Amino acid sequence: MLRGNPKDQKTKNPIIHQQSSINTMKYLNIKTLILFTFACVLPAGIIFSLTACKADEGQTLDQRNYKLVWSDEFDGAAGESPDPTKWTFDIGTGSNGWGNQELEYYTNRPDNVSMDGAGNLLITAKREAFAGAGFTSARIKTQGLFSQTYGRIEARLKTPYGPGIWPAFWMLGDNIDTEGWPQCGEIDIMELRGQEPNLINGTLHGPGYSGGNAITKVFTLLNDRFDNDFHVFAVEWGTDYIDFFVDDTLYRHLTPDNLTGEWVFDRPFFILLNVAVGGNYVGFPTTETPFPQSMTIDYVRVYQEAN
Amino acid sequence: MKHNKYIYPFASLMLAFSTLFLSCERDPNELSPATYPTTADVFIDGFSGDMGYAAFGGSDVRAFDVDTEVKYKGTSSIRIAVPDANDPAGAYAGGVYYSNTGRDLSGYNVLSFWAKASKSASIDLIGFGNDLGENKYQASISGLEVNTNWKKYYIPIPDPAKLKSEHGLLFFAEGPEDDKGYTFWIDEVQFENLGTIAHNSSGILNGADETQNAETGNVFNIQGYAVANLPNGIDQRVDAAPAYFNFVSSDPAVASVNANGVVTVLDAGTAVITATLGNTPSTGSLTIVSSGTAVLPQTAAPTPTEPASQVISVFSNAYTNVPVDFFNGYWQFSTAQTFDLQINGDDVKRYTQLNFVGIQFTSPTIDATAMTNFHIDIWTPDPVGPSTKFKILLVDIGADGAFGGGDDSSHEITLSSSSLSSQSWVSLDIPLSQFTGLTSRKHLAQIVLSGDLPNVFVDNVFFHKVGVATAPTVAAPTPSLPQANVISLFSGAYTNVPVDTWRTNWSAATLEDVSIAGNAVKKYSALDFVGIETVANPINASGMTHFHIDVWSGDFTFFAVKLVDFGANGAFGGGDDVEHQIDFSMPAKGQWISYDIPLSNFTGLTTRQHIAQFILVGQPSGASTVYVDNLYFHN
Repeated sequence: MLRGNPKDQKTKNPIIHQQSSINTMKYLNIKTLILFTFACVLPAGIIFSLTACKADEGQTLDQRNYKLVWSDEFDGAAGESPDPTKWTFDIGTGSNGWGNQELEYYTNRPDNVSMDGAGNLLITAKREAFAGAGFTSARIKTQGLFSQTYGRIEARLKTPYGPGIWPAFWMLGDNIDTEGWPQCGEIDIMELRGQEPNLINGTLHGPGYSGGNAITKVFTLLNDRFDNDFHVFAVEWGTDYIDFFVDDTLYRHLTPDNLTGEWVFDRPFFILLNVAVGGNYVGFPTTETPFPQSMTIDYVRVYQEAN
Repeated sequence: MKHNKYIYPFASLMLAFSTLFLSCERDPNELSPATYPTTADVFIDGFSGDMGYAAFGGSDVRAFDVDTEVKYKGTSSIRIAVPDANDPAGAYAGGVYYSNTGRDLSGYNVLSFWAKASKSASIDLIGFGNDLGENKYQASISGLEVNTNWKKYYIPIPDPAKLKSEHGLLFFAEGPEDDKGYTFWIDEVQFENLGTIAHNSSGILNGADETQNAETGNVFNIQGYAVANLPNGIDQRVDAAPAYFNFVSSDPAVASVNANGVVTVLDAGTAVITATLGNTPSTGSLTIVSSGTAVLPQTAAPTPTEPASQVISVFSNAYTNVPVDFFNGYWQFSTAQTFDLQINGDDVKRYTQLNFVGIQFTSPTIDATAMTNFHIDIWTPDPVGPSTKFKILLVDIGADGAFGGGDDSSHEITLSSSSLSSQSWVSLDIPLSQFTGLTSRKHLAQIVLSGDLPNVFVDNVFFHKVGVATAPTVAAPTPSLPQANVISLFSGAYTNVPVDTWRTNWSAATLEDVSIAGNAVKKYSALDFVGIETVANPINASGMTHFHIDVWSGDFTFFAVKLVDFGANGAFGGGDDVEHQIDFSMPAKGQWISYDIPLSNFTGLTTRQHIAQFILVGQPSGASTVYVDNLYFHN
């Protein structure tokens, strides 16, 4: 979840979705990424080689032996609120729309956040007048209840859609209240603009690389959308790397060398899930935006590497 | 929409080689088409070989052309030149791009194209499935917004499985914007199967759960729509032909529904019509509550006989009616439904589910101060029991001409079962004096009907003035002058001279010889003018001083008598004829009037030795009835 005033977050080099690195178990086995070179054939028949199309460097990652340390499977009855031992709420409109000129009022009402009785948590954005806002929604977080340094943090979820809808699965450093943002660091495992329901961003914010200058990467579904079915969004985080995954595909490997500032991802982070409406990242919802809109979360799981 | 046979063969514009365009800055929505079979293409840089074009009837047949200057991609686009309003070549642009052979489009989920326009505009109708025939699987968007930028548009296919052999690939209809013509372009028209089109849903009856009260024989048409979420996250609604849907009736014996969404009511009972699109239920339903076979009056209400001059009519074929705002205000809590029907050619208002209903006339209100009675004919199929009531409320809104304001007054009359009858016409004629609470009837604005009769047929609603008879009941005064002082043409008191005719064939009137209180009278009805002639025996009235005639009318507003002297030649014309007419405006109605007119008043009648013609005139012309007696000269 970006803070500040980001500008163009889209990378110029989206990596193509491919199935070459597959993990069929909870213990991820990353193989090689394939180097893609795009050949562009123009109608006139002239072939250009576009060097700008170069994808990330191929790499091989060691198998990581993860064990589950924390999870919420959201198996409660329909209408039940999130487990208070695991989640707490952000309520209201924050400061300046949670720093992003967002339009929603966050509540803890079951209308905005509750189990669906089918094994999922629904975070639902609604178009309704509420406490001076035009929309309601919810933002839950593990702050003060659970945080972790390193490991694999994943959620299986289905996104909402529509212009101005901004769902996110993300993390913030525990020290946000003492050191502030962006010094605390932010890991956006998944965020999506509802007017582009087939692409998500994975992003790191920190000192010197926040807001519009954050380190971000787009992952695009070809001929499909993130709201058609569930997808697993994850980061694998170690002392000197953060890898971004959609399903079993690694689409971004970041190390301290990739950052334009201090590596602050060496302390506990807590988890957040929310659906924002409007704001300077996603733009205003329109009269054509379908409401209500729910993010459907099957589970959130946190692993640590076993030695 | 009608089609004309303006069919153009396409020049083959197919490219010699297929184009493949890959970019890392690709639009993810455009990645798949290259792998689709060519039958997906409608227009890329030309039309596929199986296609033709037909312009709609009434449209400018030259509106469509292929444009090689303006195009989104490749070498050409479809250009549509929308005419100005009142263009003699056609009032709009519209036509169909069709496949002669038909295509299996079941593998696609959307028709997409790029479009731009010379100015911001809203294309009235654009879609596919118009096949110049029954348009069974037509799907379209109404009011597609286009502007001067190229933009990709999507028309989702409501149920691709239906399109196994579709001929209608693209159609459009667009009129001028604010009477001004403009141009729009369409390019890269193709059917696609996009995973970025999602969340399909559908509905009938605009997604509403509607209830219709019906009776056997009623027919209802159900329209449907489909919705899909486009790659930009916006829901796109498409109007979908009924044949896309699978309709089901919960009780086909009460109401059947066919594949085209036509519901036919067959019997009494309740049936719920629902639909599915593909295998997914559609939002909305139609509940038919049928009362079965309708019981209708077999005869018209009695035709009113009150003269039109004495009537202010709200609803009757016998009179000219005043303007009425509505015969059913569909007020809150009113369940009344209103139907217009004819019984033996007579217009009747039918109310069903009547708990109360308002009839309103405010433009203008009715000034019934000169009227004495309120009349209404009602017929009900419902049983009338001892406690059955029917109520009539009259409302006067006062001098301010508006409801409220402290000057309104009203009164409701309750009619008990003794005044009512089942399955026969009941003529209710209520003195306005009984509406005691109606302190004014100068600004009457509403009639409210209510009571215990849920089914009421209504006719002949009017205010009228009674006390004015339509025919005399007493004879005209008997003349008392001696025969010797009289030349009589028509009187029971005298010996009458010969009269050729009491109604010449050029008259505009109907003549009847009637008897009033035993006395013979000439009755002229539908009177405009009538000629009476004594040509064979012209009257020499030179010794007379007066002309006398007794007349009676319930409705005339004007009466005149003209005497004509044919002169010495005894014939009409010849230069020696003289005549004079005496007019009487607003003569008294409903009583015998004895006109005894000095002949000296007929100043134009310079001779009266050969009087051969008498002309009587009545107004309203052709609508007055005048009784005549004791027509004679005397001295």
